[in-house]
Amino acid sequence: MECVIGVVGRDFAVVAADTSAVQSILVHKTDEDKVMVLDSHKLMGASGEPGDRVQFTEYIQKNLHLYQFRNTIPLSTAATANFTRGELATALRRNPYMVNVILAGYDKDVGASMYYIDYIATLHKIDKGAFGYGSYFCLSLMDKLYHPDMTVEEAVDLVDKCIKEIRLRLVVAPQNFVIKVVDKDGAKVYARREYISDSPPDAAPATASATATEA
Amino acid sequence: MAGYMDLPTKGGFDFGLCRRNESLAEKKGLKIPGFLKTGTTIVGLVFKDGVVLGADTRATEGPIVADKNCEKIHFMAPNIYCCGAGTAADTEAVTDMVSSQLQLHRYATGRESRVVTALTLLKSHLFKYQGHVSAALVLGGVDCTGPHLHTVYPHGSTDTLPFATMGSGSLAAMSVFESKYKEGLTREEGIDLVAQAISAGVFNDLGSGSNVDVCVITKGKTEYLRNHLLPNPRTYVSSKGYSFTKGQTEILYTKVTQLKPKVDVSEGGDAMEE
Amino acid sequence: MSIFEYNGSAVVAMVGKNCFAIASDRRLGVQLQTVATDFQRVFKIHDKLYIGLSGLATDAQTLYQRLVFRHKLYQLREERDMKPETFASLVSALLYEKRFGPYFCQPVIAGLGEDNEPFICTMDCIGAKELAKDFVVSGTASESLYGACESMFKPNMEPEELVETISQALLSSVDRDCLSGWGGYVLLLTPTEVQERVLKARMD
Repeated sequence: MECVIGVVGRDFAVVAADTSAVQSILVHKTDEDKVMVLDSHKLMGASGEPGDRVQFTEYIQKNLHLYQFRNTIPLSTAATANFTRGELATALRRNPYMVNVILAGYDKDVGASMYYIDYIATLHKIDKGAFGYGSYFCLSLMDKLYHPDMTVEEAVDLVDKCIKEIRLRLVVAPQNFVIKVVDKDGAKVYARREYISDSPPDAAPATASATATEA
Repeated sequence: MAGYMDLPTKGGFDFGLCRRNESLAEKKGLKIPGFLKTGTTIVGLVFKDGVVLGADTRATEGPIVADKNCEKIHFMAPNIYCCGAGTAADTEAVTDMVSSQLQLHRYATGRESRVVTALTLLKSHLFKYQGHVSAALVLGGVDCTGPHLHTVYPHGSTDTLPFATMGSGSLAAMSVFESKYKEGLTREEGIDLVAQAISAGVFNDLGSGSNVDVCVITKGKTEYLRNHLLPNPRTYVSSKGYSFTKGQTEILYTKVTQLKPKVDVSEGGDAMEE
Repeated sequence: MSIFEYNGSAVVAMVGKNCFAIASDRRLGVQLQTVATDFQRVFKIHDKLYIGLSGLATDAQTLYQRLVFRHKLYQLREERDMKPETFASLVSALLYEKRFGPYFCQPVIAGLGEDNEPFICTMDCIGAKELAKDFVVSGTASESLYGACESMFKPNMEPEELVETISQALLSSVDRDCLSGWGGYVLLLTPTEVQERVLKARMD
């Protein structure tokens, strides 16, 4: 089942998510990227109804691009969080998006920051958080092991501990995870934690888009 | 971006959240909460030269007493008052709304409001909402056609009566009226009987309690006797109360901000030349 | 579980001598899971007017944004701040407009009016005003807050004693409520200054 995890360190943020696309008891694929790179310095980890998740994160991403085209400067992370909340809140009164979001970003003036936004549009600034079944294991781990001035290695190590715990204790644990990092140099894929490949062993290698570094 | 602008509305209900709330209740199995109710005793009677209205002062939220001394006798016009039972927000809103319509009507006509006008406005609003605006009212007043007393039910039906009771304590109060009411009561007898009826509600109905409010309306004069009787004073608090010495609570962080004093701009001095 | 209990909350306001205090817990939860322990439920409207919004966190945020917007419109039109009584009527009207599809919030309004007369008031989620001279409470811990405030409150407390009383009332009440607590926030307003305090509380 879906797991999205986020940690803020001294001058970076890590967002990790499982990469399974599941429907009922069937795993459709194991390389579904649920952490969208919104713009050069923002990551949006999302969980929820698959259609809504893709639709909503793309909608936010495209609006950010539009804003940047019109105004030549990008929206700050805080502004993006409030925009996202506003869109969720207005949608909530018409036809709700079933999406929970962890939004992380890096701004020159404020550094790295992260926001928790759930599907009913509750917005809160956090430095560690998680969504989905994985959160029952991750939150307690992060409460114990997190400290505000972590290095990237330490933070990824913490995320790895979370992933390990999920794989060990969660009945319906997903196989593969992706870990992305955003810092002053931009947002990128940091690592993948894969148990199984999506393609059968003798088939052609996975599509290029799954392995390419996004920036 | 959504073209949604939050402008002050022109009035009327907004059903915008209904669908969302329904889906929240459905998905999460979350119960939609109850509202503040006035589990109430309200009464009114006609006496020799006017009308006496009465009410208890307890507001409840389920089994919790939310307000021990609330006001249930609402102003409608200088010569008309209205007791409200049911959902507190509805009784408050509906009486406020009709009272301002009456004020506008007085401005337009220059005449004293009539009780039937208030009655018609109330019942047509309540009927329109088919009982969903849950206000049960006792309306009383004196106008150029004499004293009037009416009851209004949440669905919009009305009665015209010499004495009336409403709310959860209505049965207790009615038993007092049925045994003691007679035509041509004096002012003092009227107030006393109303107070007795409310007290019957206060002591025998769990939804009613605390104090007795009375309102006496006669030709050209209205007296609002707020807390006419106080039969349930606080007795359980020690005279000194609890005292906490300063610094008992552990504090992690304190921030003190001095407020800027408001600058007074005086109108004196020489006026600017035109 | 009621929708009021989804996030968990406790808000209380008390009146003292020419001052008032408004306090809340700091937990943001999703049912029994705690998401954060630094959530703000008490918001400033202007220097001498504050509102605490208990209940569903998303509605508290939406309502706060709408109230700030309406208050700013008022400031532009009238060139002054709203009186607490006026503001209470605004909140009530905003909530009653959604009578048949309400915001799941119970507001607590506290302010100093003209001549620094303290004003406190609470409402249910459809805007039934409940004015009080002593204290008002709301949130999932409201039942225990009623009890604590009822016995601890004294009329005409000085600012220091008021802070102590409201803090103790809040802390003891949230100890009997699973869904609220995890820290406390107290704001004291006197005619000259604002004091904000973060309280140490049980974290269980």
